[in-house]
Amino acid sequence: MDEQELISRSKDGDVEAFNLLVEQYQRLVYNLALRMLGNAEAAEDASQDTFLSAYKAMGKFRGGSFKSWVLRIAANSCHDKQRVARRYRVVSLDTLLLETDDFPQANNTESPEDYALRRELGRFLNEGLAHLPEDQRLVVILSDVQGLSYEEVAQVTGSSLGTVKSRLNRGRTRLRDFLLQREELLPSKFRLNK
Amino acid sequence: MFRDKGDPLCRKVRGMLSEYIDNSLDSENKSLVERHLQACEACSKELESLRMTVQLLHRVSEVPAPRSFTVTVPQPRRETALGPSSLRWLRPATAIVAVALVVLLMGDFLHAFENNAGVDRGPGNMTLSAGQLAPSSAPAEKQTMVTIPGVMGQMALATAKAVGYKDYTVVSSSDVSQPETQPIASVPGNEEITGAGMMAQGEAGVGWPLRQTEIGLGAAVFVLLALIIFARRQRTKGVGAG
Repeated sequence: MDEQELISRSKDGDVEAFNLLVEQYQRLVYNLALRMLGNAEAAEDASQDTFLSAYKAMGKFRGGSFKSWVLRIAANSCHDKQRVARRYRVVSLDTLLLETDDFPQANNTESPEDYALRRELGRFLNEGLAHLPEDQRLVVILSDVQGLSYEEVAQVTGSSLGTVKSRLNRGRTRLRDFLLQREELLPSKFRLNK
Repeated sequence: MFRDKGDPLCRKVRGMLSEYIDNSLDSENKSLVERHLQACEACSKELESLRMTVQLLHRVSEVPAPRSFTVTVPQPRRETALGPSSLRWLRPATAIVAVALVVLLMGDFLHAFENNAGVDRGPGNMTLSAGQLAPSSAPAEKQTMVTIPGVMGQMALATAKAVGYKDYTVVSSSDVSQPETQPIASVPGNEEITGAGMMAQGEAGVGWPLRQTEIGLGAAVFVLLALIIFARRQRTKGVGAG
């Protein structure tokens, strides 16, 4: 069954068809939430909220890219979670990001040293992403971590192409500055000024 | 860090470096950036550091979802009279019955339904004459007389019975209306005799059917409210996480 048919059936209330779409996109949604929120538990909540909201709103889906549509719902869920966290100041985002340990060993050929280095790098990048303003962080994650095109990022964020390019440029520059400030802490393999 | 030295061309080129890295510049701007990079070491370093940052971000690996986020919906139930859709008629029905009850009670309190004013107040118009903490043979000035009309009178009477309070007498409203109230001896069980007399008097007018209607409407309001609460609970059982 192709995606269009699954979408069509989901719009008619077929929950099994919708769940096939969930299985297809849950990894993408969870990873966006994890990078945005920096906390596995909060990312799980946001992902579940995303798919529940998507199922309820299937009738409003007017075609186009389902991936962009569901990522847009995910971005809104993350925004809501961050707003609540800020309001109640449960834990700071920086603390959450430092708790994140989401760099599993990629394959059997990776040496333990390389894995340790990559894990260290992942920690730095998460911390750097947490220092970006929310709008820039979203664009950087969608473009550079998840590999979406400018057009797709514009659809997800509901912004113009010019805004996406501008946010991406500012986000990358800001993240670069963050990494440069802590360069001595970065593994030498990954230092920007070699 | 690479600070902008204020050169307008440097500023312009740096604004395009991100797109240059993504290879999304048009040919004109691409050649402009490339010409400038050959001449400007600061901008070249800026480009390299940005390129490195993007490459680092590309190395961030995806993690598998820790669990499935599929959704479940409850099995479709056969729609009953108490299903969520029944709220459509339950709410107005409750409102109508409640309004009717209020109108009836107000009319009753204002004696609007009496066909013979001063004579027929039905069995519910009770005057409780109670000698509080006093023996039944207490003088009349120590007695307290409370007039409670309508259903409330009956309720007060029932309550008095229920709590075992026997030191009272029930008299009809026509007795109360007399200017000089006679001291009434408290005789347990006396109210039944007096009440029966009043019943006979009430049946001649609208009193007792009116009470029955009021009680019936009150019970109907309670039942309808219970049904609304039940129907609302049915409605809140919606889509859930898988």
